[in-house]
Amino acid sequence: MTDHFKERSTRDYHQKQLFSKEDLERRESLCTHEDPPFCNAACPLKLDVKAMLAAVSDGDFAKGRSLMEFISPFPEILAWGCDAPCRKVCRRSEIEESVNIPAIERAIMQHSMVPKAKGLLKLRKKQRLAVFGSSLFTLALAADMAAKKYPVTLYTEAEDEMDLMRRCADLPDEILQRQLPLLRKADLKICYSTIVDRAFLENEEKNYDLVCGAEYLKTDEVDPVTLCDDGNRVFPHAEKKYSPILQSFFDARRAAVSLERIIQRIDPHKSRPQEGETESHLFTNLTYIPSEEAVIENGVYSREEAIREATRCIQCECVECFRGCAYLRAFKRYPRLLTREIYNNTGIIMGDHMMNKALNSCSLCGQCTVTCPNGYDMADICRAARENMVDTRKMSLAVHEFALLDMLFSNNEGYLARKQPGHETCRYVYFPGCQANGIAPDTVYETYRDLMNRKEGGVALMLGCCSVIAKWAGRRELYEEQISFLKEEMHKLGDPIIIAGCPTCRSTLREHFPEVIGLWDVLEEIGLPAGHETLTNEVMIHDACSARNDAATQDAIRRIVSSLGGTVKEGTWSKERTACCGYGGLVSYVNREIASQMSEECVKEDPDATYVTYCMACRDRLKRQGTDAVHFSELVYGISADDSPGLSQKRKNRKQLKEKLLKEDWKEETMEEKPAFTYELSEEVRQKMEDRMILESDLLETIQAYRDTQMAVYNEADETLTTQHRIGNVSFWVRFQEEENHYKILSVYSHRMTVRTR
Amino acid sequence: MPNEKTYYSLEAGQNLVCHKCGVHLIKGNAVFEYLDNAFPVELPVCPQCGFVYVPEELAMGRVLSVEKVLEDK
Repeated sequence: MTDHFKERSTRDYHQKQLFSKEDLERRESLCTHEDPPFCNAACPLKLDVKAMLAAVSDGDFAKGRSLMEFISPFPEILAWGCDAPCRKVCRRSEIEESVNIPAIERAIMQHSMVPKAKGLLKLRKKQRLAVFGSSLFTLALAADMAAKKYPVTLYTEAEDEMDLMRRCADLPDEILQRQLPLLRKADLKICYSTIVDRAFLENEEKNYDLVCGAEYLKTDEVDPVTLCDDGNRVFPHAEKKYSPILQSFFDARRAAVSLERIIQRIDPHKSRPQEGETESHLFTNLTYIPSEEAVIENGVYSREEAIREATRCIQCECVECFRGCAYLRAFKRYPRLLTREIYNNTGIIMGDHMMNKALNSCSLCGQCTVTCPNGYDMADICRAARENMVDTRKMSLAVHEFALLDMLFSNNEGYLARKQPGHETCRYVYFPGCQANGIAPDTVYETYRDLMNRKEGGVALMLGCCSVIAKWAGRRELYEEQISFLKEEMHKLGDPIIIAGCPTCRSTLREHFPEVIGLWDVLEEIGLPAGHETLTNEVMIHDACSARNDAATQDAIRRIVSSLGGTVKEGTWSKERTACCGYGGLVSYVNREIASQMSEECVKEDPDATYVTYCMACRDRLKRQGTDAVHFSELVYGISADDSPGLSQKRKNRKQLKEKLLKEDWKEETMEEKPAFTYELSEEVRQKMEDRMILESDLLETIQAYRDTQMAVYNEADETLTTQHRIGNVSFWVRFQEEENHYKILSVYSHRMTVRTR
Repeated sequence: MPNEKTYYSLEAGQNLVCHKCGVHLIKGNAVFEYLDNAFPVELPVCPQCGFVYVPEELAMGRVLSVEKVLEDK
């Protein structure tokens, strides 16, 4: 056993930053899921328009009102006087008329009550404020500061409440009348009929900690951000970008922030929240949005009309990656958040690595990079995180050990490399791939015979694994070792052109070998063999994720399927948008549940269709899911493989294929080591072993160890024996009944812990 | 170490016999070790050869879940 499989503690002080700060931010910035919808971003007052419309469409007008009250002390004035920058950027406007947001706001005001409760009890502050003036700006500013619990006195020339409201907004009396309860509730001391002149101001100024609002006090230019003059007093801004009412509320809100900063003796320029309209890069896919007719506002919307109009809101959000990825949906995280959590996970020295399962459950298939409008590459992040954790010794060996040992099996006991009999040199080598060897050995056998017969130049054979398993596991050193091994072996064969039977092998080997073509390319060149099956029905093609960006391969497979007589029905999730079957990235070893969901995802468009695959792992996983799936080579050679061989059967198949080929083509007999005993396994035990990832070879080795040592526990109650044997990092236990040289296996289980007496 | 904490204790019962030594298993001191962690336990042990018996329920239950936790530490 090599050092790669030495189990060690994952608590290690080694630390390696996964990405630089800039790199992390650059990656995260590609995901716009958390960007605000355009309507929210366009509102200078930061109204959560999307939430408001969602509330109204649910009939919750009270929630709609509370969202509006959050941004303005007099929301109804705003609803009537806002020029609605939100509406101008509504994405529905690209299909038809945009959602009439201000009309819905007016309806909210009409159909909801002013809340009686005063909200959370806040302590009254000490600093006293005087606000002078009779404009909407001064009234809103006074109300905003009063809401922050500053004792505020508003001095106005207006004679009474209605007069004040009329001076503030040019709206019908009926509407203004409805504002009076809010004015009374605003906790303001209002001094009416005050003649505000310079003398009065100078006289009153000393009674307050801060005065603001009156034009008479203005000493210099107003700062465009803080709305302060050089004497730290606030005024409305000269530049008017929005309608007078919206501008006044916006200015008042910004001025209130400045006033609070001044009172706290902080530079009003510093630590301000993001103000005004912002930019959003949110992507909204309008493809799936049905057309819905706008509701005409005749007077104010009735409740029903408002609900209907609010339902027209698309509720903009970017969910492009979620649509096709079972992995992201299972972890309920969009790439931005997932990346940050995975990044943090790699930095943990002591403590639980909560995201290990997440970063090991990505199939590394690259679908998100295609579906994301900005090309987010979650696969690269998960792969980098795995490599990082392996490098810093924080990745437990247990996660991928079974798959890695399977790879080593393929490149040892299951490995074979030979030149074509009778050929000194071979121009080609056929590399079927470990999954094809394990799942469809007879098809591989027949394919090689055909290639030897019909492909000129000599075709060597190499049965093995392309090493992608080590790459997926993040074990770079092991990967390099295996690639070096393959290079040496290829050199021994005379560095032939590789004919890959598997698209994953092809893309992996292409990184290290000059010329790697696909079996499909060769079949197109030499034509289909006699005896191929004929398709009579419509089929769907499940494209291999490793051929996602390989249009030539996708097209070649379609042409072959057509030549076989099949009509290809293209699905939404085919070609570059294809999903992984659940084998990629070793998900099926780490997270079976998600791997199953991935398989289901592949056939969700039509679960009853026949799916032609060109990756044997896809064929196996889809078939396991109960889908009618067939590998194109099974059709081409008319040889159907077993339904779904188990883990042990796959290994047996590889070994038997090797022995059969050695015997028939190279006339080499292999000495098969048969156990000196017989055994029987029920289907139930077999399934248990499959679920627990225990191989039959482990079972046999354990029985053999028992035969050698006689170490076992005898249970007098059920007359069974239980023995234990440690192989590598795993202790295997077998419960059985013994009859001379025959063993009836009752159960098999294992654990990784060691146990001893103390 | 009589005061040492024991994480798990399992009676040997009357039925378990060491196949090699021919004697009944008794409740004895054992220790599970994994990734630099050690958990003292009491399990059925052969008093002669020291064979420690880990029943299936324990292996696939507590042991498995503790392994998973330690692997993510």
